[in-house]
Amino acid sequence: MRDIPTKNEQSQSSNSSNLSLNYVPAKNVNIDGTDYLESQAPIGTFGGTLVNSTIGEGPKTFNPFNCKDNTSSIMAGTMYDGLLTINPVTGEPIPKLAKSFSISPDGKVYTINLRKGVKWSDGKEITADDVFFSWNNIIFAGYGDTSTRDSLYINGQLPAIKKVDKYTVKFVLPQPYAPFLRMLSAAIAPMHVFEPAVQKGKKYFDSFLSTNAKPQDFVTSGAFKLKEYVPAQRVVFERNPNYYEINAKGQRLPYLDKLVYLIVGDLNNQVLKFEAKELDIIPLQGAKVARYKSLEPHSDFKLYNLGPDTGTMYLSFNLNNRKNDKNKYYVEPIKQKWFSDLNFRKAVDYAIDRKNMVLNIANGVGEPLFTPESLNSIYLNKNLKPYDKNVEKSKELLKQSGFYTDKKGRLFDKNGNRVEFNLYTNAGNTEREAIGVMIKQDLEDLGMKVNFKPIEFNSLVNKLVSTFDWDMVIMGLTGSPLEPNGGKNVWLSDGRLHMFNMRTPEEGKAGILPWEKELDDMINKGALVTKFEDRKKYYDKYQEIIYNQKPMIYIYSPVLIVAVRKKLKNIYPTSLGGVIHNIEEIWTH
Amino acid sequence: MDALKYIIKRIMQAIPLLIAVSLISFFIIRLSPVDPLAELKLNPSISPETVRIESQRLGLDKPIIVQYGKWAKSFVKGDLGVTSTGEKVSQKLKERIPNTLLLTSIVILLTWFVGVPLGIIAAVRWKTSFDRILTVFTSIGMAIPSFFFAVLLLMFAVKTGWFPIGGLTSPNFSDMSAGRKFLDIAHHLVLPVFVLFTISLAGLQRQMRANMLDVLDSDYVKFARAKGLSENIVIYKHALRNAVNPMITLLGFEFAGLLSGAALTEYVFQYPGLGRLILEAVLKSDINLVMASLMMGAIMLIAGNLIADILLIITDPRIRSKS
Repeated sequence: MRDIPTKNEQSQSSNSSNLSLNYVPAKNVNIDGTDYLESQAPIGTFGGTLVNSTIGEGPKTFNPFNCKDNTSSIMAGTMYDGLLTINPVTGEPIPKLAKSFSISPDGKVYTINLRKGVKWSDGKEITADDVFFSWNNIIFAGYGDTSTRDSLYINGQLPAIKKVDKYTVKFVLPQPYAPFLRMLSAAIAPMHVFEPAVQKGKKYFDSFLSTNAKPQDFVTSGAFKLKEYVPAQRVVFERNPNYYEINAKGQRLPYLDKLVYLIVGDLNNQVLKFEAKELDIIPLQGAKVARYKSLEPHSDFKLYNLGPDTGTMYLSFNLNNRKNDKNKYYVEPIKQKWFSDLNFRKAVDYAIDRKNMVLNIANGVGEPLFTPESLNSIYLNKNLKPYDKNVEKSKELLKQSGFYTDKKGRLFDKNGNRVEFNLYTNAGNTEREAIGVMIKQDLEDLGMKVNFKPIEFNSLVNKLVSTFDWDMVIMGLTGSPLEPNGGKNVWLSDGRLHMFNMRTPEEGKAGILPWEKELDDMINKGALVTKFEDRKKYYDKYQEIIYNQKPMIYIYSPVLIVAVRKKLKNIYPTSLGGVIHNIEEIWTH
Repeated sequence: MDALKYIIKRIMQAIPLLIAVSLISFFIIRLSPVDPLAELKLNPSISPETVRIESQRLGLDKPIIVQYGKWAKSFVKGDLGVTSTGEKVSQKLKERIPNTLLLTSIVILLTWFVGVPLGIIAAVRWKTSFDRILTVFTSIGMAIPSFFFAVLLLMFAVKTGWFPIGGLTSPNFSDMSAGRKFLDIAHHLVLPVFVLFTISLAGLQRQMRANMLDVLDSDYVKFARAKGLSENIVIYKHALRNAVNPMITLLGFEFAGLLSGAALTEYVFQYPGLGRLILEAVLKSDINLVMASLMMGAIMLIAGNLIADILLIITDPRIRSKS
């Protein structure tokens, strides 16, 4: 059973980047009855500290089941391993806490074999009881953040979990559901620590292992455990002496004694801290890359190009042609005609100068984007070819639909209405504001009148998901490069974030367009098959529909550049894993 | 006994004021377009069910007046509620208040011990070169924005490596001996204290100088001089006691600023005080946290004014006889 592209399918999008495509993840080995993972990286020396950073106000919780924000997830992920993890090079799911796993041919039964003899940081063995408890009594029971459970309801039914023996667990799904495999990377909790908390109820669980918890309360399976949390300053982790990964000499990893995350309030402070050598790793924004590139030869850091990141920036039309409960159209009928006209949408698309935007807004550190899947996605449809700005083609398309320009170059539709609309984005996001200005210019070359209005983020979200009173918008969404099904709320015609043609729950699938129906079909089917090749077919098609119908026009992806101090060894950055995916193998002098 | 009555009266007067402040703040925050759930709503992997449960948990599904009533009831009981992420507000504040107090009290002590004497000296040596040079420096101090000054100092710290880039303690703080810990904190405090000190010193010194000049020009000082009293007695016994009255009112405001006066500088220096906490809370419309900090600010201001008035009664016999 494969869930990844083969070697020849996978031609890296950014060949210039210095990524570690030959990194080999740790392998299973059995020594004296204990199933260790053995690191394949060169042997390092023990000791030392790595100082990383996180932007914002720091973690909200250390409980892996309560994380709603990225920082908390990173902190909890450092301490609690899941059954599976991803191969940082290929994106393939590989065993972590599990020794191995298998999926039945009908795609419904997932069998997980656990490692024998591996221990929690307090010395108790990790067994099938912990796995059963974590999934059955925490996740499926709706404790903490319920998004994992919510996305696992298949026809209103949750998967069944069964403990077969001390080291084997089985999941039985009501029907094949491909995204389940990657969900097995969810953290496993030590039952002897979490059970008392679960018994005290959901409300108690919400504050269990919060940021006020004492470091000695943490019993972890990951490479590190909490040593100290200083609010608004830092989180310090120390090695987990019982971690189950060893090096070729049989010594227990991690090499590092301590892993520190400094809590920095903003990007500027992060840069200052890196330059003052308080930080070891820093991701760089567009404008700063050139400066660091020139500093690099005489410095103690190295730059790594991780390729395009998972963010996708897009320009979207409001295709809504329905009325609200006050019997008023969400979008003025005149505008509805333009936006629902494919020629109009295409004309807008061809008028946009993506390359110019990459050059001027992302300082050249980005790549033009034409599909909803990010450029590092393993499901990217490579047959959808990029194209350049083409104003002549735009004008031709507009002419076909009866649009005309007067002597002053102003554009009118065939009924004589001046083409004028509002373009929104969230104020304060300088990148999107810059994109808005350039799109406005590009579209005004066609004679359209664009009222560009950056508004406050919350008001914008309100327009997009509640009041639907917008014409065009520039937004961004972060997707997973490994699992297109994560975007189903955006693509399904009755999805909660189907912004370009949003329907209220009461409307259901009212006024569904033929290609929206096809889109629904592709997204639903893509989740029901488990083989990569089969899924790819559906997801290729979904990207093709968006590429052709252009409800959302994708603009560009920033490229991720990271500076890492040279004193850190065993650094194998990858596009999917980032820089410290192998934190247990990293060492320093 | 009269004094006690006066204090009780003032405290009673503060109650309607606090109610008004809380009502206005609560409504302004809730009527602003900031939606605490906006980010959740825009996250493709969050189900509508989760959004609904969150909105229920935060009480957003009820009318504002009901939300206010609920908040006010628990506030009176001394319960500040929980933040939007479920942490206790009182715990959050408890983590940060000592840090902010440490910074602001050092600054206030320093500025008063340096600023007041400098003001007196400048007034006594009015129009000498000492006074003029001091005026130049304090003008610069008053003119420079704290934000900008803090950034300049941070750049200085990066270039020289002499000072840490913000924060309050080093990463290996917990492994240090007590003496090293003290030095580490002091090292981190130098720059933020310097910024706040420079800026508030300027204002205080000029205020003191102006008061003193006023008094030195008055008839009774002229009379004291004419009487042949020594210059020291004229200045420190007669002039100073009168010149210091407006400063006591100022001290009341300084008390109010103990918890909220350094927010901007705290932010630039990434100082783990209240400033950063409250800023984030406001941006996310974390109502309980914002309300707690606003109420704290209001109470501190009222208390500061009360303390100043009491001090005035003690120092100034004229006010005593009036009341």
